[in-house]
Amino acid sequence: MRDKTHDDFIERWVKFMKENPDKWRDIHTRFINSQLQMNREFLERLKKTPGGREKIIKLYDIKNVGAYKGLLGD
Amino acid sequence: MKRSISDLNELKDFCIRFCGIVERYTEYIIVSGFVAIASGRVRGTEDIDMIIRPMNIEQFIKMHGELLKNGFNAMQGTDPKELYEDYLKDKLSLRYTFKDEPLPEMEMKFSKDALDEYQFKTKEKLPLTNMDIWYSSINMNIAFKEELLKSHKDMDDARHLRLIYSEEIDEKEIMKTKQMIKRYRL
Repeated sequence: MRDKTHDDFIERWVKFMKENPDKWRDIHTRFINSQLQMNREFLERLKKTPGGREKIIKLYDIKNVGAYKGLLGD
Repeated sequence: MKRSISDLNELKDFCIRFCGIVERYTEYIIVSGFVAIASGRVRGTEDIDMIIRPMNIEQFIKMHGELLKNGFNAMQGTDPKELYEDYLKDKLSLRYTFKDEPLPEMEMKFSKDALDEYQFKTKEKLPLTNMDIWYSSINMNIAFKEELLKSHKDMDDARHLRLIYSEEIDEKEIMKTKQMIKRYRL
């Protein structure tokens, strides 16, 4: 939900960045990396399900399937 | 395969490696969401948008070959001639990822009009991002997000950029860019 509290978050976070120049990058890095890690872990589970491989191909519109053998479990 | 470098997030590492190869062949700029994320915006993304100056097919084949050698793959295919003719030349994006990983991806396309030309003319480096790469200017990014893209996510990106770079924002430049967007893109 986007309400006033959502708008406040952006301002609070920018304030935190400006007041904590040595701290924010580490928090930001962990946040970005954790999202990519979650995606990898999810795809690992998905490819083991029936039709999972095909779903991944559709999801990312992969035409160059040969280059993604590891991802697809081939 | 985990490819992160300890003090770089994975998106930054991916982007720096990719830009380092592309810049040997042509001029490029990174635009849109990644500019906000590299500037500290806390949100997810699946892709990084890159605009490059058009190049001939021979140059593209060389650049593509070097990208492959360095662990990148184009999701749309393997034949560089087809990738060039069917996508880049048609003003469509080519999508590159690290081999065997669907994310993150770099969406690379040729510049197409006077607005893109202006983005190259006003490109800048942003020391706060801690990345030695070329970005379209903060003013341009704000104008695109507020005038053309307009989703909640884009409006939040623009707000973040306005707050972070408050001392450098040039409202006249943003207005000028918004006029150009109306002329060339709307």
